[in-house]
Amino acid sequence: MPKSGKTSPANWTSLFAETHPAADYAPALFKLKPEKSPMEPQLNQEVINTAAAHDGPIETDAVIVGAGPVGLFQVFELGLLEIKAHVIDSLAYPGGQCIELYPDKPIYDIPAVPMCTGKELTDSLLKQIEPFGATFHFGQEVSTVERQDDGRFFVQTSKGTQFLTKTIFIAAGVGAFQPRLLKVDGLEKFDNTQLFYRVKSPADFAGKNLVIVGGGDSALDWALNFAKEGPNKAESVILIHRRDGFKAAPASVAKMKELCDNYEMQFIVGQVTGYEEKDGKLTGAKVTGADGVTRVVPLDVMLVFFGLSPKLGPIAEWGLDIERKQLKVDTEKFSTNVPGIFAVGDINTYPGKKKLILSGFHECALAAFGAAPFIFPDKKIHLQYTTTSPKLHKVLGVETPVFD
Amino acid sequence: MTHIVTESCIRCKYTDCVDVCPVDCFREGPNMLVIDPDECIDCAVCIPECPVNAIYAEEDVPADQVNFIKINVELSNAPGWKSITKRKEALPDAEEWKDVTSKLDQLIR
Repeated sequence: MPKSGKTSPANWTSLFAETHPAADYAPALFKLKPEKSPMEPQLNQEVINTAAAHDGPIETDAVIVGAGPVGLFQVFELGLLEIKAHVIDSLAYPGGQCIELYPDKPIYDIPAVPMCTGKELTDSLLKQIEPFGATFHFGQEVSTVERQDDGRFFVQTSKGTQFLTKTIFIAAGVGAFQPRLLKVDGLEKFDNTQLFYRVKSPADFAGKNLVIVGGGDSALDWALNFAKEGPNKAESVILIHRRDGFKAAPASVAKMKELCDNYEMQFIVGQVTGYEEKDGKLTGAKVTGADGVTRVVPLDVMLVFFGLSPKLGPIAEWGLDIERKQLKVDTEKFSTNVPGIFAVGDINTYPGKKKLILSGFHECALAAFGAAPFIFPDKKIHLQYTTTSPKLHKVLGVETPVFD
Repeated sequence: MTHIVTESCIRCKYTDCVDVCPVDCFREGPNMLVIDPDECIDCAVCIPECPVNAIYAEEDVPADQVNFIKINVELSNAPGWKSITKRKEALPDAEEWKDVTSKLDQLIR
């Protein structure tokens, strides 16, 4: 959603990313559905029990792919029709582009909300969909979608979570956010052995000679984390960033400079332009400084934090009609060419499509009505209003007002 | 798919485009900008920003400019081409060059 300008992920975004050292700062957002930890979002206990009892895929009416604003509002529109949903997102938190690309940028074109930030929009949507008890599966991408003989879809994620669902709503925006890679020819062979783009278990890096590359919050926070006294203290920490200016929080930058002054870590201005290896092991990074001189920095492990960039990923392989990396839909139900699979928000295209959050919201409503016959084939679905319908008040969990 | 900076940018480099890019995918060379195709998310907001209409969606690149698709790929990863995220002054003689066509020979890689 190109609604606002530059990329500048707010500090709090990384605070509860799955890879963040300070993950115990639980932002208000997460208090809606208490989580065990941001690393492993806790599933609804009922769902865990059901899954355990069946020892198989989670059976559900709807799976929503993407927890951006449109995916979240899809929960609402399905909820009004009494359709429960599971939501999957590659990020470790809800909000999609609103959180990842412009959490602090003001948005002015949400109807009836004169101004809100990406984070405020996400928080409001989470509050709005609270009554519907959707289950979130964060930190995983959908890898497989296959139609079964009974007409349902088998859905599997990168973490192995499996679903059997009657309908799918693809609200995947511009794709799943993935770490940006350090582009040095040949370096990729050390992926996940000595080159990492995320920290799953900090203890793995304790006692090692670390080179950390990047200038954002993740790079700085991990550098500080590994440089300080504690169970995960590294043997040495060298931070490399292309310039002596940082996107990271000023306090972190100040702390980093203090540690450098005390010889507890080092900071080098430069870019990684090559590497050295010995016996199949990565032994050093070639760093070209601002002076144009290339020096070799010895290391055991390289951690790269260049932020996240969205990639369409496996959606392209699900047999759906695609035009310019977008899914073609009709404008009656926002159905793709596969009946039962709907596409809403930035990921879809149709004549006159405009990539606006408000268009996505409209699409959610019609897609929910379009999906109802797949879930309740014998039920006549009536349009009802939240102002007046006692049935909707019940699903929303509110009292029906009495007017004299 | 991606967006592509074409010939009009050469020797002008107005840089209005970089301020609006949500993913910081512009790369700056001595006298032109390009878009890193691995980073561009096709949001298209840069297109109307460019005062010389240098930016096109990959499918819409005019026939005589298709060689710039490859040039954007190459130069976005070329040594010395750096990420640019904030607008700066255009090149001093941009006004003189903005309407010149066929200026590929002027490109400094």
